[in-house]
Amino acid sequence: MNLISGIDVTAGALNAQKTRLDVVAQNIANAQTTRTAAGGPYQRQVVSFESELMRRAGSTAAGPVGNNLQSVRVAAIAPDRTPGQQVYNPQHPDAGADGMVTMPNVNIAYEMVDLITASRAYEANLSVVKNARQMAMKALEIGK
Amino acid sequence: MNPIGSIGTLYPSALARADAPVAAPKIALPSQAGAAAAPTDGFTQMLDGLVGAVDAKQQAASAATRKVLLGESDQLHQSIIAMQEASVAFTMMVEVRNKLVESYQELMRMQV
Amino acid sequence: MIDPIFQTDNYQLARKLLDASVLRHEAIASNIANVETAGFRRLDIAPDFATQLKTRMAAGDFGRTADSLRPALVEDQTARSVRPDGNTVELERELLVMNRNLVEHDFLTEIVSRNIKQLKLAITGRGV
Repeated sequence: MNLISGIDVTAGALNAQKTRLDVVAQNIANAQTTRTAAGGPYQRQVVSFESELMRRAGSTAAGPVGNNLQSVRVAAIAPDRTPGQQVYNPQHPDAGADGMVTMPNVNIAYEMVDLITASRAYEANLSVVKNARQMAMKALEIGK
Repeated sequence: MNPIGSIGTLYPSALARADAPVAAPKIALPSQAGAAAAPTDGFTQMLDGLVGAVDAKQQAASAATRKVLLGESDQLHQSIIAMQEASVAFTMMVEVRNKLVESYQELMRMQV
Repeated sequence: MIDPIFQTDNYQLARKLLDASVLRHEAIASNIANVETAGFRRLDIAPDFATQLKTRMAAGDFGRTADSLRPALVEDQTARSVRPDGNTVELERELLVMNRNLVEHDFLTEIVSRNIKQLKLAITGRGV
């Protein structure tokens, strides 16, 4: 029973934004990680979205036509290949022969902007669901 | 089952006059033409039509609700509206029945 | 015989607009979900739905023929792109449209509800 309109679309969006928030948190946590299991400094992860078509579950002959609703999903979580900054620090355990350490390519300011954008999108989707539920509750009161 | 229809066979002349006020102006009764031919036919036709129409409304409401229950449709508001319309139609049929029974009892009380 | 009771213009108009209101909310959900998807163009109710409604109302037989008119979702051609990747969704505007749609939905359910309650009152002579 799909009683709240558009809830599949919003569920997909909430999942996608949550994944993005998780990735941003991971980036921020690893902003100083110069040694990973794969060797080398931590590479910033980037989330890319794509829209997916939601199939409407059946449509009556007299009902509205809305077959082009699109939700969003995470297309890929790919590493950002731009090289990180090189810092001169000969005492660092991961310093090279020339005393340079390659830091992760995580820019904290950038990640914070991403965090705020993702949170805002998440809250917007939450208010969509809240309003949809309110509309359904109002519809149930018809005639009472 | 036609208990009310049998009134016509008992008091045809009394009901021939009763036919005109029963045909309420805002509802277009198909039996207006039928009443000219034979008063009893018009009356039972009207009642059959009423029962049929109420039944159709109930069927439409239950079909809409079943679609929502099975997940085939998400038009919740249309199902609620259909149920309310069916309830109004049913209430009207019940009130028509009440009025008919009342007028029958009134007739039975008349001193001959 | 029952059907003409429910075929007043305002009542059928409110029912159709209620369909459109729910559909518009789904379009807004879709738009807000795709606020950052590259190349996504925002969806809305097709503008010819409103014009068709008006012509049908003017023609006068709306009460009986309302069923054949269905609202549909199309890409909004009047939305301009605010980002280089062609995405035309503006989050603040979507939230405003959603709030307005909510009030419209409440209004329409109120109209439908009052019509039904009035019919019940007329039939039974009692409140409910």
